[in-house]
Amino acid sequence: MAEAGRRVQVRVEVNGRPHEADVEARRLLVFLLRDDLGLTGTHIGCDTGSCGACTVILDGRAVKSCMLLAAQADGCSLRTVESLAAEDGSLSPLQQAFHDEHALQCGYCTPGMLMSATYLLERNASPTDDDIKHSVQGNICRCTGYQNIFRAIRSAAEGMDA
Amino acid sequence: MLMPEIEYARPTTVDEALDLLATHDNARALAGGQTLINVLKLRLLGPERVVDITRIGELRGVRTLDDGSLEIGATTTYAELTEAVDVWAVRPIVAEVASIIADVQVRNRGTIDGNACLNLPTSHFPPVLVAVGAELTVAGAEGERIVPASEFFESPFTTAVRTGELLTRVRIPARRPGEADTFAAMAAGRESKSIVHVATSLRLDGAVAEASVVLGCVAPRPVRATAVEERLVGTQADEEAARDAVEGFGATLTPVSDVNASGDFKRHVAEVLVERAVLECAERARRGAGG
Amino acid sequence: MPRKEDRRLLRGEGIYFDDRGRGREGSYVHLVRSPYAHARIKSIDVSKAAALEGVYGTLTGGEVAALTDPYFQLQLPPSNEIKDYCMAVGVARYAGEPVAAVVARTRELARDAADLVEVEYEPLEANVDGRRALDPDAPVLHPDAGTNLVWEGSFDWGDVDGAFAAADRVLRIDELHFHRFSSTPIECCGAVVEYERATGQWHIYCNHQFPGMALVFMAPALRTSMDRLRFVSHDIGGGFGNKVIFHTYLLICCLLARKLDRPVHWTEWRTDNHMANTHGNERWFRDVEVAVQNDGTILAYRMKALDDCGAFPRYEPIGCVVWAQVTAGCYRIRNVHVDFTQVCTNKSPCGPNRGYSRLQHLWFVERMLDVVGHELGLDPIAIRKRNYVRPEEMPYETLNGCIYDSGDYPRALDIALELVDYDAWRARQTAEDGRLIGIGIGSTLDSGTNNFAQAQLVNAELPFSGNNEAATVKLDLMGEIVVTLGTAPQGQGHETTAAQVVADILGVTPDDVHVRPGHDSFFNNHVTFSGAYASQFAVTGLGAVKGAAERLASEISRLAAYLLQADPGEIVLEDGHARVAGDPERAVSLQWCAMKVNAAYADLPDELDDLTLNCRHVYRARFEPLDVSRAYGNLTLTYSTQIHVCVVAIDPRLGEVEILDYAVVDDCGVRVNPQIVEGQVHGATAHAIGAALHEAFIYDADGLLLTPNFDEYHAIRALDMPDLKVESIECPSPFTPLGAKGLGEGGGGGLHAVAAAIQDAVSRASDGIVTDSFNPPERVWRLLHAPGERPVRLVEPTPL
Repeated sequence: MAEAGRRVQVRVEVNGRPHEADVEARRLLVFLLRDDLGLTGTHIGCDTGSCGACTVILDGRAVKSCMLLAAQADGCSLRTVESLAAEDGSLSPLQQAFHDEHALQCGYCTPGMLMSATYLLERNASPTDDDIKHSVQGNICRCTGYQNIFRAIRSAAEGMDA
Repeated sequence: MLMPEIEYARPTTVDEALDLLATHDNARALAGGQTLINVLKLRLLGPERVVDITRIGELRGVRTLDDGSLEIGATTTYAELTEAVDVWAVRPIVAEVASIIADVQVRNRGTIDGNACLNLPTSHFPPVLVAVGAELTVAGAEGERIVPASEFFESPFTTAVRTGELLTRVRIPARRPGEADTFAAMAAGRESKSIVHVATSLRLDGAVAEASVVLGCVAPRPVRATAVEERLVGTQADEEAARDAVEGFGATLTPVSDVNASGDFKRHVAEVLVERAVLECAERARRGAGG
Repeated sequence: MPRKEDRRLLRGEGIYFDDRGRGREGSYVHLVRSPYAHARIKSIDVSKAAALEGVYGTLTGGEVAALTDPYFQLQLPPSNEIKDYCMAVGVARYAGEPVAAVVARTRELARDAADLVEVEYEPLEANVDGRRALDPDAPVLHPDAGTNLVWEGSFDWGDVDGAFAAADRVLRIDELHFHRFSSTPIECCGAVVEYERATGQWHIYCNHQFPGMALVFMAPALRTSMDRLRFVSHDIGGGFGNKVIFHTYLLICCLLARKLDRPVHWTEWRTDNHMANTHGNERWFRDVEVAVQNDGTILAYRMKALDDCGAFPRYEPIGCVVWAQVTAGCYRIRNVHVDFTQVCTNKSPCGPNRGYSRLQHLWFVERMLDVVGHELGLDPIAIRKRNYVRPEEMPYETLNGCIYDSGDYPRALDIALELVDYDAWRARQTAEDGRLIGIGIGSTLDSGTNNFAQAQLVNAELPFSGNNEAATVKLDLMGEIVVTLGTAPQGQGHETTAAQVVADILGVTPDDVHVRPGHDSFFNNHVTFSGAYASQFAVTGLGAVKGAAERLASEISRLAAYLLQADPGEIVLEDGHARVAGDPERAVSLQWCAMKVNAAYADLPDELDDLTLNCRHVYRARFEPLDVSRAYGNLTLTYSTQIHVCVVAIDPRLGEVEILDYAVVDDCGVRVNPQIVEGQVHGATAHAIGAALHEAFIYDADGLLLTPNFDEYHAIRALDMPDLKVESIECPSPFTPLGAKGLGEGGGGGLHAVAAAIQDAVSRASDGIVTDSFNPPERVWRLLHAPGERPVRLVEPTPL
């Protein structure tokens, strides 16, 4: 893409599957995921990249998909919340921990929370309480008051040590 | 939330990037996009062509140069700065500040390039770069030139990087013996957008030999508190000296009132933050902690 | 019991409104909104927008005025002359008010086209200060009404003059202010609306949390019948009262779907939401006078309340009386006089934000009590215990006829104080780093299941009374148990708790009970008050579910009695069977019962003809009629308690507040699901702390919102939250089917406790008084260093 264009070809691997899309240059990654690929688990909650509901993991880094152009994901590999459960549909240990600790109410911020927590736990198997809070500082929740989210992540981390 | 139409290009070399930036009258480099994408969404004064510079190899990476200074590629992310052993070893303040910007997701994308070149009043790095005496390398059609941080920042979105040019790297000098840095902020919520912040560097040789106190958030560009610096030199930077140094300083500032604080209050906050930053910085210098 | 809803939500398979309508050609709405807080709309030219390739059509205020009738108004004349349409008609009255709509093939195209709509505005003077709204020179928002007054009235209970004459002292507080903010659920509002030409039927897939009310407002405006507006919601990303008054936007979508003969998809973005959806009411409490005894007993108070409801009363003026559910807060005050005035200003309309109207009033009562205690030199715990309604007085009839069903405030307070180790904090005046330490108590009530007859207190002509909810429980053809709810939950776990209740009654496990997620008015199990709001699901929603399950159980028992040749009274339901008690071999499965009634009924006797195994129940909360002339009577069925204790440290040089310790004790009666209860307490506390320290909707003098999105409006985040210590006590309600009391709104306890804690810390260093519910660093700093003239005075009472 050394030439400038108003449309771009985007090749991206999402949750292990390759996808190709021809989209406008202005298309945000979150719209590619939701509208073009039908992966509606990633949510939109604001318009300034503040709430984190759109968090995905791109080339191993947690990022806000509303703050990237789809074009910028070209050639990348990304994971969304839909990648967390097992093939047979059973919940991952982290998802199970969220369920057991009642770490979700309306569920809207939850995919973003799960991806931020996944990013933390992949890099830090023994997070401190402070690490846990920092890991979701970019994710706003209006329902839970965050308490049970911290508990769930702690529980998942302890499960990993076991 | 709804982007205007733009052209997108993704060069793989600096020369390609420079050409793309020069051949459109409203083009801008896109690095992490953590500010620029928001600007575009709001349909304010956004570029019509974005040149994605994140796949240009020579703009990435952190290394220590032969003279001991730190060289940071322009598209180094805040996360990479916090993960770089070299940064912690040579000039830890850069990693410290990078680690409190916004949140994990922003740090994984946001770059020192964006923070410097967009130069919003609340941007963290402009005052830090001025305080440590950084040098910024700007590439253009005529080649590269080095711009000291003190001359780099002009106003929001306007820096020494002109149309058709690119920031390629930032050089941060190593700390000299007795030198330490600190960063102090009052923010709207923990680790959130700053209301007032200040970057301070002190070099102690018994007493204060050099001082650099640079404020952000209070003007269109970072403000060096030269009067404060002059008063500090030769002192022990103890409580009394710090207090004396900031006296009347706030009145010299003209910060804008906004939803978080009035201009008057920001003046007062600036004094308090500077006073505390100086004390902390001196303590670090004495401990040899470097800050 | 973990929630049924979780599986799909955790896997990213929740169905929120914006997840619908995938994989087909869409059409997207973008609204042109007024940039001015007050302006005449001189002309609108949509021609350039309409001509853009990919644009399907437009809508303007002129068309709206021709095609719809204004929403009916609840107020008295002349304020009921306000004309409220779904779009600005002739005049824009708040920045962000929709002025025109564009529909196009993509969202971005609709947005691009909106830039081509040419609107000629003539800016008018705007008023953003509620205190000015009734000044003779204030700009009048609604010339049809001729005034900015929305409602005014006086409330007088007990013998106020007598109480003041008998008092030892009278305390005067000039003014207290409760600020404007809202709960800002992460999912914004939106809808996908389809119109069937053939039948005149609209299908509204949206996230409205109170469909009963939306129907009642929209159908007459659209000149159609209720049934023609089908409301469907599935998963809703948070409501908190912020998804109640956006039926105005839904009406725009209905008009567009019909005009363009296409489904239309409208999404509200964050900035739209903050500017032009729902704010919580801003309220002043002025000329406050409190009659007190030297020992701290509060005999009476009087004050003038001024409420600013924004540009249009949309859920108002109900808020002018809803506060009376908690006139005296947790206290035994028997004499009160309130002059209440509500006005409109050029700001976003207000809606029933979490804690609606009680929140504001409870903050006032708690602040008042705290100030009294402080002025009299009384300990804040002692003055509360002196004035609390006592547990042995429950159920307690308040001065205005409300009945507090149950509660033990002193015990809850003691536990909360223990949780933070109050004595240890009290012993420390300052922290090691020189910060000032303050401890605050916030006693609050969460009143639930309101009696809509209170609407008569604002307008005696309004016909509403009581409160109700519907539900159905059926055995499907092969015996599956299916429940539908009239509510529209936004995360409160209705599916889970409903399943628990039904399972208990029918003798199965909750996993055997399928609760249909969301709300669909085609199921016909809605009533006018259907929805999820006002802390009432545990009472109304579960009351309806319980009633429906009991009807079904009764039908099953009658059928089983016939099949097993037993008496219906001998039948028990357990393990998915109907059995004869004590004779387990004589049993029929629920599956067989369903088959029998639906496919093998021919041998059933006549007396079982009425069996359908598909039972609908409407739970009706019992209320006596109100004495409207005295504004007396029970306004709400249940009163949950929350007692909050907050410990802060304040940086005296910067005014920054940090919460060091925090405890909440709640009492919502019998807890159907303790984990869900605790989650609600956490969430309500977070909202309250956020509002107290970080969140405010602040306007500039021209009526532009300075906190229009999450970049400026600092919603409370992970690092801002203190660790919460939470415990519960259970004082069952004698009035509800399960002994549960509704909760969810929370009563804003954190707002009270944080204000009290800041006051306590400030009092160590200055004589400043906390008079505002929002205390960012600069305000706290001024309290410490430049408090100004004291707004509080103790005086001798004047004899009668």
